Amino acid sequence: MLRIIEYLVFAIGAAAIIVVSYLMGQWSYSWLPVEASTDAQRIDDLFCFLVTLGSVIFFGVIGMILFSLIAYRAPKGDYSEGHPIRGDWKLEVTWTAIPTLLVLIIVGYSFIIYQKMDIAGPTRVLGELPVGIQRANAQTINQNIADTELIEVISQQWDWTFRYPKQNVVSKELHLPSNQRVRLVLQSKDVLHGFYVPEFRIKQDIIPNRNINFQFIPTRVGKYQLHDSQFSGTYFAVMQADVYVDTPQDYVRWLAQAANHPSNTLSLAASEEAQPPHQVFKSNWYTVLPAKPKEVDSSNFALRNFTNDQ
Amino acid sequence: MQNSAPQNLRPSHEDPRYGQEDEIFVDLEQLRQKMPRPLRRFFPNGGGHHHREKDRTLFGFTVFLMSESVIFLAFIVSYIALRLTAETWLPPGVKGPEVSTSIIIYTVVLLSSSLVIYLAERALERGKINLFRLLWLTTSAMGSFFLYGEIKEWLSNSFGPSTGLVGSTYYLLTGFHGLHVTAGIILQLIMLGRSFIPHNYDKGHFGATAVSLFWHLVDAIWIILFSLLYLWKA
Amino acid sequence: MTNNPAQSLAGASESATHSEIHNWRQYFSFNTDHKVIGIQYLVTSFIFFLIAGLLGMFIRAELITPPSDLVDRPLYNGLFTMHGTLMIFLWIIPSLVGLANYLVPLMIGAKDMAFPTLNAISFWLIPPGGLLLMSSFLLPSGTAQSGWWSYPPLSIQNPGDNLLNGQLFWCLSLVVLGISSIMAAVNFVTTIIWLRAPGMTFFRMPIFVWSVFSAQILQLLFLPSLTGAAIILFCDLTFGTNFFRPFVDGDPVLYQHLFWFYSHPTVYVWALPCFGIFSEIIPAFSRNPLFGYRSVAIATISLAVITSVVWVHHMFASGTPEWMRLLFMLTSELVAVPTGIKVFAWTATIWRGKLHLETPMLFAIGGVMMFLVGGVTGVMLGAMPFDLHVNNTHFIVGHFHYLVFNTITMAIYGAVYFWFPKMTGRMYAEGWGKIHFWLTFIGANLTFFPMFPLGLQGMVRRISSYEPQYAGWNILASLGAFLLGVSTLPFIANIIASWLYGARATKNPWLATGLEWIVSSPPPKENFEEIPHVHFPPYSYGSPQAWSQDASDPYDY
Ligand code: HEA
Ligand code: HEA
Ligand code: CUA
Ligand SMILES: [Cu+2]
Repeated sequence: MLRIIEYLVFAIGAAAIIVVSYLMGQWSYSWLPVEASTDAQRIDDLFCFLVTLGSVIFFGVIGMILFSLIAYRAPKGDYSEGHPIRGDWKLEVTWTAIPTLLVLIIVGYSFIIYQKMDIAGPTRVLGELPVGIQRANAQTINQNIADTELIEVISQQWDWTFRYPKQNVVSKELHLPSNQRVRLVLQSKDVLHGFYVPEFRIKQDIIPNRNINFQFIPTRVGKYQLHDSQFSGTYFAVMQADVYVDTPQDYVRWLAQAANHPSNTLSLAASEEAQPPHQVFKSNWYTVLPAKPKEVDSSNFALRNFTNDQ
Repeated sequence: MQNSAPQNLRPSHEDPRYGQEDEIFVDLEQLRQKMPRPLRRFFPNGGGHHHREKDRTLFGFTVFLMSESVIFLAFIVSYIALRLTAETWLPPGVKGPEVSTSIIIYTVVLLSSSLVIYLAERALERGKINLFRLLWLTTSAMGSFFLYGEIKEWLSNSFGPSTGLVGSTYYLLTGFHGLHVTAGIILQLIMLGRSFIPHNYDKGHFGATAVSLFWHLVDAIWIILFSLLYLWKA
Repeated sequence: MTNNPAQSLAGASESATHSEIHNWRQYFSFNTDHKVIGIQYLVTSFIFFLIAGLLGMFIRAELITPPSDLVDRPLYNGLFTMHGTLMIFLWIIPSLVGLANYLVPLMIGAKDMAFPTLNAISFWLIPPGGLLLMSSFLLPSGTAQSGWWSYPPLSIQNPGDNLLNGQLFWCLSLVVLGISSIMAAVNFVTTIIWLRAPGMTFFRMPIFVWSVFSAQILQLLFLPSLTGAAIILFCDLTFGTNFFRPFVDGDPVLYQHLFWFYSHPTVYVWALPCFGIFSEIIPAFSRNPLFGYRSVAIATISLAVITSVVWVHHMFASGTPEWMRLLFMLTSELVAVPTGIKVFAWTATIWRGKLHLETPMLFAIGGVMMFLVGGVTGVMLGAMPFDLHVNNTHFIVGHFHYLVFNTITMAIYGAVYFWFPKMTGRMYAEGWGKIHFWLTFIGANLTFFPMFPLGLQGMVRRISSYEPQYAGWNILASLGAFLLGVSTLPFIANIIASWLYGARATKNPWLATGLEWIVSSPPPKENFEEIPHVHFPPYSYGSPQAWSQDASDPYDY
């Protein structure tokens, strides 16, 4: 009797899990911020796949456990033994083989996604192995991508500065043309920082005294937040900058405008440091002082070689 | 795999399969029998209480030394990685560590002390306690001479710990090694002192064996450091 | 408290050791008995857990509102740095070493550890190491504030230019704790290889012993890398060397490699013993043998091997070359295979069993369930392109708290309940245990689940103020955290009261198999009057009287 119930529950459960997992996967897109770069969509597809597969595994195992908890509770006061079965090599081989296969599928799919992505590989430290030499940009949805924009991103505790070398514009906000490949050269003047805009789904640490090439294609016009993603000390939390993805026309207009009005706003960190601390618990521990606005001028930071260093 | 035979039917102690019927995949006892003798004593198979405590302690000490050498490994790998990737290894005007007659002398003295400590150990095994003390003390003296030489090198160097990467790596590696030499000498002196305690060797001379093992390791590491720091030319 | 028949059965043979009143002073002395040391470890690390948890409460209190309003920014940075460091190096690692100290000699039929004095020294390095770390709260420059990773060049900035600064204390205390761990590892490996009772072959060792063995080998081989990194960091900080100074050609990424080369394998140093705990508790409360014992044992060893070559998955965004990203993605994902073997083995063990849901079993099952969440999200992180999005966000914080709290701390709780009768000779109060479980289970999910949506939305970790759009989930997480804080109270009350006044425990209140259950509770000084001979595989549940064969007369050959 219990056997039949087991099989029934099994079959219904398996079907339910597949349906639920599929729905979870579809739902997962809504857990993420809007997609604002070509890579965002690829990452989201990967995430959908991972959530679907993860749900199958999670609900599958949890389902088995919960079923056992309900079906096999020992009656009160029953201290008899269970069964003496110590294993079953067929079963054990199966549950080694299937996860191996799944894992290889995950890795393969991730690899394909990575190949399609528009970001450039970071600096080559110990030489490049000949895997995935081709950055297949052909699949990009946007067929006519204009010339690469090159923007220098200068990070320091706790401030961002952006320099457009061609136009010689220095700015505190990052403006990007939509649907064009932008190429950033990430630099740091002191400690590690990280370039992260959630809507772009990509992230890269910035290493002092290195130029790190980073590229992607923003697609959605709008205003976003750039956040430092690698912990950098006291005012890490407010090391932010506004990112605007403009239509190419707006972008050109902004560049022309910005060339005439060099921005010199105080960083959030510097203005917070200027105020007396207002928190309940004050430690008054020492901190590195935030950069003053005029320290961040472009002249003392010549753009070094544009290719990856080394 | 239905386990049909009841658990409580146990094979008797005399049963040749005793203690082995579970080793289906790898018969560890058989593997052990095939090992060369010095290795074999490091791997008892069940029933460790039959074995002498000395073997066990030596085993533990060897494991410890292996772990300790991983710190050196970390330093050495860092050295190699930095040296291979740094754009400027030598800051302008700085010459790295140079092979000189004096450093060769110090090195030779340190390395030959390994032989001396080996002889000391042999003497102890044969019960020649005074010869042991003499050779043992010689080892410490040779080690101290090496330390003295190293400090002299340090003082005469044209670079300090904050001079580029050469200085940093040089002082870290030699300094950490020097600490080990110092520790070795202290251990040797303790063992020397203990040799005057009556009945000290009744239970074997594990202490002396361990210290000499340590000393050999320190010497071996110096060979690596010497090649990396002095012989590797830019 | 249970009222199962073994109490009446085995209770008759209770020996006189019960009357031997344990002198509480022995726990404050340099004692070389592995059981005393085990309890010293457990209690000490639990105190550090409370302190670190209190810091966690402050973190959550700050994060309940978007602006930075509770603690100033350097203090917040100090809080999570100390929280992480204390939790890892003074809670998880020592508490598991403590459990292993108590259990391994008993489980393999030995009278003590291989080197009892060394064992005591390892323990007595822990309190000074911890106090050294804690004392940096009193320094004018404050504690270390660069996260538990202490990535340079941030960690070598030393803003106040004080010779004595928090980062220095951090480095030194890590070296001290590292020495303690290495000595413990030497001791465990030697003990397990040398002191197994006759007949206790490798494939008769309980899985807990297997996992301690694998975990301690990992400690031996990888911990020195962290010690080395801390020493170099210390030199850069204090002696002005240039290893990690980027502007004089040093390489900060080198530190990351040295750090994660240990700090990834260490997550399995924590996880493996907990898998061992699950493998002990689950068969005992489902009355089935552990399903696939041998493959679980082999999976344990293979985990130790695979986990040693995946460390770069913490550095996917760190300026890592492409080939490393791809290679380490592959190895990281492979970890799922042997882990899966274990999870499936536990699931199969309770299948068609006779389940008893006492507190230890609740913690074990709850821990396994939440481990799945941590593991599945771990596999997502291993998929490198996705990791580029969530790296350094609260998604990571969620992932690892599901493991370090919801799995490992749960497992430790389960273990404490399971072996409490053995350790103290008294039963704990079952009702309070169940309350503790439910508060912890609910609190933990409330606290750490919201971190996944937060991270997906892009909330970066290690920030004390955030955009208002993240407020909702954060409030939930903070409330959950306070519930977690409350959940420790029934546990503490239960343990203290039961230790003092609980009902006497029999030798084997759970009818469990394993050598630790054939000696009295608590075991006598040298554990076994005569070294037992082992003639049966472990986990011989399932056949009638299996337990009583093990429990009654082990010497009947
Ligand atoms: C005990 C602790 C523990 C454990 C067990 C794990 C387990 C795993 N972890 Fe986790 N991890 C941490 C503790 C732990 N981790 C910590 C502390 C950090 C962050 C540190 C910091 O940054 O401060 C971290 C961070 C971390 C990162 C870095 C993220 C980043 O910073 O960007 C990654 C990336 O790959 C990762 C991956 C994994 C994987 C793949 C596993 C796997 O081992 C999981 C395997 C388990 C399962 C998969 C579930 C069971 C399996 C099955 C049911 C079989 C079927 C499954 C499949 C086919 C998928 N972890
Ligand atoms: C290893 C184990 C471990 C454990 C068990 C925990 C447990 C907890 N952690 Fe942990 N946490 C880490 C390890 C751990 N953490 C690490 C490694 C980091 C990363 C640090 C870094 O980024 O560098 C981290 C970071 C971290 C953050 C992220 C901070 C940030 O990035 O900004 C948060 C935020 O919510 C958090 C919260 C919590 C909470 C609420 C608990 C709760 O489970 C705690 C529950 C607390 C208790 C149960 C005790 C309560 C006690 C009392 C109320 C009474 C106290 C009384 C006295 C002291 C007398 N932790
Ligand atoms: Cu058989 Cu000792
Ligand atoms: Cu990891």
